Amino acid sequence: MHPTNENRAYHWVYLALISFTLLTWIIAESGTGGINISLFVLTLALIKGLLLADYFMELKSVTSAWRWVAVIWLVLVTGLIALAFSLGA
Amino acid sequence: MDQPNTKYPPGDLAIWFIVIAELLVFGIFFVVYAFARLKHVELFNQYQLTLDRDYAVVNTIALLTASYFVVRAIHAIRASSPESCVRWMVLACLMALVFLLVKSVEFYQHGSAGISLSTNLFYMFYLSLTFFHFMHVLLGLVILVILTIVARRGGYSASNHRGMETGASYWHMVDLIWLILFPLIYVMR
Repeated sequence: MHPTNENRAYHWVYLALISFTLLTWIIAESGTGGINISLFVLTLALIKGLLLADYFMELKSVTSAWRWVAVIWLVLVTGLIALAFSLGA
Repeated sequence: MDQPNTKYPPGDLAIWFIVIAELLVFGIFFVVYAFARLKHVELFNQYQLTLDRDYAVVNTIALLTASYFVVRAIHAIRASSPESCVRWMVLACLMALVFLLVKSVEFYQHGSAGISLSTNLFYMFYLSLTFFHFMHVLLGLVILVILTIVARRGGYSASNHRGMETGASYWHMVDLIWLILFPLIYVMR
């Protein structure tokens, strides 16, 4: 990506992170629970984590295996949490 | 200016081994919480409702904003603007302080209500996870303050700011962990 666009990207990423957080809060305050809502909220957290890793931690520009450190952690941890909540539903 | 494609992540490589170790520890903690909940779904759902989600949202926004300010500081030093870098770092420190103050109020309220690690399994997980994370934020704030002092003294420049990138990577990791902790403990039921 061109540096100018990339410079703009982290502003948008911040806005997306705050928006997803507020969406999670609205869902929590609405009192709706259940497995589908939980998995949706977890997916929002996964996306937030991926955005933070790519744009704030700058792992997007890393070409070696280090690029996948946060991605693997996020997918593995949220995947196992999703499995546990699904089993308990 | 932004980072061109590079083989290694920003900052000293040693911090990334620490990041991996910390992510592993918290990751195991999160998964153990989720599977321990399986046998006590009612209890976890009941006591989760006693937590104040407003505090948690304020704290999530505080951490994300601190991370954003740290990114702005890094971009400022790369653009040879040390004064701007210091300003963003001071703001990042203030956001970290907001998190610590809000979380301290929350811990104080739990303590006043007689809630402790031995109250029940949910509180055992909640208090240990959030306190463990609290200590990481505290260390993160100390690192941010040191980086700010060094930047103010002219210790970083466009060509020499690896120390700042190292501290920033630690801070972002603390933020990343909270992004999973927040929905898991406060919202998912």
